[in-house]
Order: sequence, then structure tokens, then C-alpha cells
Amino acid sequence: MKTTFEEKDGKYIMHFEGRLDTAASVQTEQEMKVLHNCEGHDVILDCAQLDYISSSGLRLFLALLKVAKAKGSKVCISGMNDNLRQVFAMTGFTHLFEFV
Amino acid sequence: MPQTNSKNPGHWALTLSNNVQEIPLLNAFVDEVCEFHDLDPMTTLEMNLALEEAVVNVMTYGYPEGTKGYVDISAQSDSGSLMFIISDSGKPFDPTAREDVDTSLPADQRDIGGLGIFLVRKMMDSIKYEYQDGHNILTLKKKLNQ
Repeated sequence: MKTTFEEKDGKYIMHFEGRLDTAASVQTEQEMKVLHNCEGHDVILDCAQLDYISSSGLRLFLALLKVAKAKGSKVCISGMNDNLRQVFAMTGFTHLFEFV
Repeated sequence: MPQTNSKNPGHWALTLSNNVQEIPLLNAFVDEVCEFHDLDPMTTLEMNLALEEAVVNVMTYGYPEGTKGYVDISAQSDSGSLMFIISDSGKPFDPTAREDVDTSLPADQRDIGGLGIFLVRKMMDSIKYEYQDGHNILTLKKKLNQ
């Protein structure tokens, strides 16, 4: 699992690559902390290269969403494959995030 | 040490210790079982999710913190279904007794707890818990469309 952070056009972008399983989620949680300081910046989670996400990963996305919402920032998920989108749909997460 | 105990076609087994860093070994095991059955990518993803949730549950809550424990995972199939059995000798715990999360709530009211077992229920066709001879035994079944 690999993440890359980028600030572009005033937006905070994180690129996810690989499998976000329970084993990877501890490290990824640390790496996502930078996104929690998103006052004045919308956040894009680029999931085009994300192959897998378990509930540990969903937890991290939800935690970020709560923080960002409280700060008035939007959180968008981009490029997620259809299978993972189905997982999001099953858990009701599709309604919480904006997909682009 | 994690190990694959058996690779006979029709029966697979894997033993992991209670360390979530071993989860990639479980994923490889599930991929192998799904590949043998020619399952499509979405079903393989579902099986991985269900198994990971059930096994992580045992790894996280089954044994007192700081003590070593094990979780055994086996898989077998017959003509119509694929069955995974997860067994451990940790404290008695029935994950099926847990209530499902309400997935319709807005973000600020969502509590992530309980999502794991919800996913297991959603992905599998049946889920059964037994406590026998000091072991938690969770049986997950998936119907195969053939």
C-alpha cells in the first residue's frame, strides 16, 4: 500500500495505490493525517490505483470526512473502480462521499 | 509461524497468529481458493472482505492483549457452495449476536463499529456460530453459481 500527497490548485489530493487492508491501515492512518488540516482546502482521494479496501480503510475515510465536514471542506473520491464502488454502496458510504 | 497446512484440491487450511500484519497471507489464501473455483473478481473481493473482517475480529478481540493466540481458517467446497470455517481458542464470542449498523445515517451520526460483521452478513449466504470444546467456530457459506 502506497500513498502520495499533493497540493494542487488549492486542493489537497491523496493518491492511493495497492491494497488498503487491516495490516496497511495503521500506516495509512498516519499518512492521511496531513489531510485532517484541510481548513480552506477541498480534499480529493484518488482511488484509481486502489485495488482493495476493508472496513479498516473505510474507517479512515469516514474519520477524515467527519473532520473535513466540520471544517467546511468537501471530500471527493475519484477514479474508484466499479467493484470497490459496490463495496461503498453496500455500506451506505456512497451517499456520504461525492464521487468524481 | 503462519503456514498453509493443506493444499489438496477441495480442501484448504491456513493458521495465522493473532497479528493483523499477517492479513496479507489470508488474502493470498482466499485468492487461491477463489481462483481454484473460477470466481469472478467481484465475488473474490467479497470473499476477501468477509474473511478479513471475521479473522481480524478474532485477532483483535479473541485473546487478551499481549498474549499469543492462533486462528485457523479452512475452506472446502461441494458442488453448490463454498464454505469457510474460522476457528480459535480465544474467549467465547458470538459475532453474529452483534446488531447491524444503520447504513442510512449521515456521516456525523455514523459509528463505524459493527461494520465488520455487517459486511460478513452482506457478502455471505449464511453465517453460523458455535462454541465447541473451547473453540469459537464460525462457518461462512457462499453459494456458487454454476
